[in-house]
Amino acid sequence: MDELELLKKDWQTNSTRDEVKLSSKEIYPMMHKKSSSIVKTLFYISVAELLFWIIINSIPYFSSEEYRADLAAMYGNGGVLLGLTIFSYAVILGFVYLLYKSYKSISVTDNAKRLMESIIKTRKIIKYYVIYNLVMAFLSMTFGLYYTIYENPEVSEQFAKFSDKQMFITMLIMVVAIAVFVLIFWVFYRIIYGILLSKLNRNYKELKKLEV
Amino acid sequence: MNKELEHSFVELLEKHQNIVHKVCRLYTNNQDAHNDLFQEITIQLWKAYPKFRGDAKFSTWMYRVGLNTAITLYRKSKRSIKTQEFESVSFKIQSVDYDDTEEQQLKLLYKAVHQLNDIEKALVFLYLEDKNYSEISETLGISEVNARVKMNRVKKKLRTILNP
Repeated sequence: MDELELLKKDWQTNSTRDEVKLSSKEIYPMMHKKSSSIVKTLFYISVAELLFWIIINSIPYFSSEEYRADLAAMYGNGGVLLGLTIFSYAVILGFVYLLYKSYKSISVTDNAKRLMESIIKTRKIIKYYVIYNLVMAFLSMTFGLYYTIYENPEVSEQFAKFSDKQMFITMLIMVVAIAVFVLIFWVFYRIIYGILLSKLNRNYKELKKLEV
Repeated sequence: MNKELEHSFVELLEKHQNIVHKVCRLYTNNQDAHNDLFQEITIQLWKAYPKFRGDAKFSTWMYRVGLNTAITLYRKSKRSIKTQEFESVSFKIQSVDYDDTEEQQLKLLYKAVHQLNDIEKALVFLYLEDKNYSEISETLGISEVNARVKMNRVKKKLRTILNP
């Protein structure tokens, strides 16, 4: 006899023999408990990320007049800084919309493959959001550093004694330090999502393998 | 959500809870993890219930939500992973002293099924529940041909586990 047929016979008669049957009284409280699914965790992480970058983008508006004046001077005039701020909030709003649409499309009643694809698509949107913010952080830190060294009278005076070679090496070290800082952020994100979605990725690969 | 909806859901779940227990039995290795997964499947079923139109059977709908929760949404606790490792070891020891009685064979078969990956377990589960390949392919989102091919591979894999 086929092994699975033997198992099927037993499964259909005995598989829930030892289970304690839950009464309706026990089911009621279970329905209203909080879910700990990966979608919920993903949702909380994405909200935390949105808030984090919104706060980072809002720092100039909550900091001192002096700092804001420095920033305005750095960008040439107040208009550029305002334009950049409006642009960054528009991007954040765009991501909020995309994430909302993406979360709405996740349905536990879809087939297994489609459900996994919806979650992966949502995770990709968060990934692009993180990449966008990290690239912007890298550019603004590099630009800020360049401006401080060459345009800030106090700082540029200190660097005035440096030869071209020394200046180049100093700049290189600082840019590499910024890149490493951004990279650490990126690795941190990869680890968080890697742990959270490892099972999903593994199972999705297994389903995709069947199509080859 | 209104009380009537809650009442009809609880009534249906109470009646068909065996399906959820079976999913939990296949995807977990101890009672704590079983209860955890049962809890999560109940939440997911309840969340999706307002959209349940009744054009499919409640039990068929439960298979899909139950398996999706076990395969994709549920996060295993550390405790259940440890138990799984322990059971794998105990399986290996027992397979050396293979006893060809039906009961012993069943015991080994259940342990072998537990060693399969999540997708293979889903295939076996639907097969054991007497679902046809069309239903299996619809639940997993793969073609019927691929479901058959994979099922044959799973059968071979089980044989290899049982007769190394």
